[in-house]
Amino acid sequence: MDIDTVKERAGPREFGPGDDMPREYREAATRMIQFHANSEIMGAYIERPFIRQAPSLDRKLAVSAQVQDEVGHGQLLYRAAEELGIKTREEMLDELEAGDGKFLNCFHYPLDDWYELPMIMFFVDGAAMRRQATLKRTSWEPYAHAIDKICFEEGFHIKHGEDILRTIATGSKRDRERLQAAFEKWWPRILQFFGPTDDQSTHGEFAMEVGLKTMSNDDLRNAFLNAYVPKAKKYGLELPEYPRVEYHEADDYYEVYEEDLDWEEFFTVAKNEYPTGVGQIEKRERAQAAVEWVRDAIESPEQGGVSPAAADD
Amino acid sequence: MVDGPEELSDRERAAVEAELRTLADDEFVVAERYTEWQVRGPTLEADIAIANIAQDELGHARLWYDLLEDFGYDQVDLIWERDPADFRHATLVELPFEDGDWADCVVRGYLYDTHEHLRLQALEDSAYAPIADRVGKVKGEETYHREHTQNWLERLAESRAGRERIQRAVDRLFPHALTLFERTDHEETIVDTDVRPEPLADLRAEWREVVSGFLAGLGVDVPVEDAAELLPDSRGRDGTHTEAWRSLYDEFTFTYRQLGRSEAPSLMPAPEEADVDV
Repeated sequence: MDIDTVKERAGPREFGPGDDMPREYREAATRMIQFHANSEIMGAYIERPFIRQAPSLDRKLAVSAQVQDEVGHGQLLYRAAEELGIKTREEMLDELEAGDGKFLNCFHYPLDDWYELPMIMFFVDGAAMRRQATLKRTSWEPYAHAIDKICFEEGFHIKHGEDILRTIATGSKRDRERLQAAFEKWWPRILQFFGPTDDQSTHGEFAMEVGLKTMSNDDLRNAFLNAYVPKAKKYGLELPEYPRVEYHEADDYYEVYEEDLDWEEFFTVAKNEYPTGVGQIEKRERAQAAVEWVRDAIESPEQGGVSPAAADD
Repeated sequence: MVDGPEELSDRERAAVEAELRTLADDEFVVAERYTEWQVRGPTLEADIAIANIAQDELGHARLWYDLLEDFGYDQVDLIWERDPADFRHATLVELPFEDGDWADCVVRGYLYDTHEHLRLQALEDSAYAPIADRVGKVKGEETYHREHTQNWLERLAESRAGRERIQRAVDRLFPHALTLFERTDHEETIVDTDVRPEPLADLRAEWREVVSGFLAGLGVDVPVEDAAELLPDSRGRDGTHTEAWRSLYDEFTFTYRQLGRSEAPSLMPAPEEADVDV
């Protein structure tokens, strides 16, 4: 299929492994799905310590299940990406380990304590849900199929995240102050979740034309802003002075001054060069290197010596 | 059959409590360690499986702690504000993992699950009905855990490197696994009143036979000395623990203390009889 035909036919769940897709499409889809899969893994990675730190048995169970779901989403997404025939799962995981795999900006920052957890589990997951909901209509069918399951489970995560937020927001004055501090720190990063503004987005236009993306970064960011400013207010959180957010009363509409966001930091993060992100990648690399022996042992046991069972044969 | 604490004498109450605490604390702490493997396992599939197992164990801890609540405690007393020296889990479950030591995880799981299987079998005949009623659900899930760990041990044992790792883990963990069978102060009452009709000494003998047979089949040596010679200084069941316990305790109670709470947020209703019937 040539690229013009792809653009002409592009529509929800239009293409699958049975279609002869041009390389340009397959590469664009791989880039997008691999990014999403990597983000699930790195998101799980920064949330994991909060399984241990959860302050009740039920919370501990819920955070463990959530981290598990995210690894499961990564597994589904790598599979959907593999079907494009560009890279294998092993190659994508190796890239992530080596620091060449890209992932969401928010997962390059450390989560310092429980007060910061709802910034990820409610706001970032809420933002992810907004984007993912539009991807149910993406043109690569295996991606859309994975998204169906992801959205279903993500709904539970956000409910749990909101419950954590509510508990802290109705706690002591000190709790509320710490929550506000966490919000001020995370809010600008959360707004950058949707990526650069459309005029600076390198791959956005093509992805829209071939139906991989169905909504632009700017539209998604605005939709999120208008849904989540009221939610933040509901829990007593105040927007920081910057980035400025203007409320247009006539249209009941919030608008963010995108130039107030630190795009230099964003692009450093996006290149995997931001110090805390580099730290996360390196820690994960070490953790993966430490279990390399297991993969070696099960992939080529004969090199490590014969098994007693085999010796008896 | 006895249906609740109100039907028990003081001595019997103490015995049921002691049995429940060892069950609950073992499950809680073993899960706490398993979760360290989430997002750090050798494959995505191993990650997901260990997360499943950790959640099962937490669920079981919840079932046993819930029965302790019938004795007038709440979750805060039982976990979050409990003195670390009052926990009664075996030292096996509190030991830290070396980075990447997946063999430790599966050996530990195997030794623990085999013990649990035998102990649950004995508790199916418990005269304390609330325990006997919950055994079915727990046992069903433990069967899957044993399959998982045995399967991993068999795969790892196919290579020399894997077998050596298993051997080192067995050498290190076996003495601590023996603490699973150490007595609390209430062992005699527990057995005499049929809270657990089978004594720990008998369970240990059965366990040693099963474990030694299976591991020998993989080409792994298992210590043969008497338990008295092998047991570590800290025994867990008497409240003595390895130094790893205090730091683990400090970590899992960190947020609870930071939030300055006096209650643990609950998301689910307490498990009812209906939930645990199988």
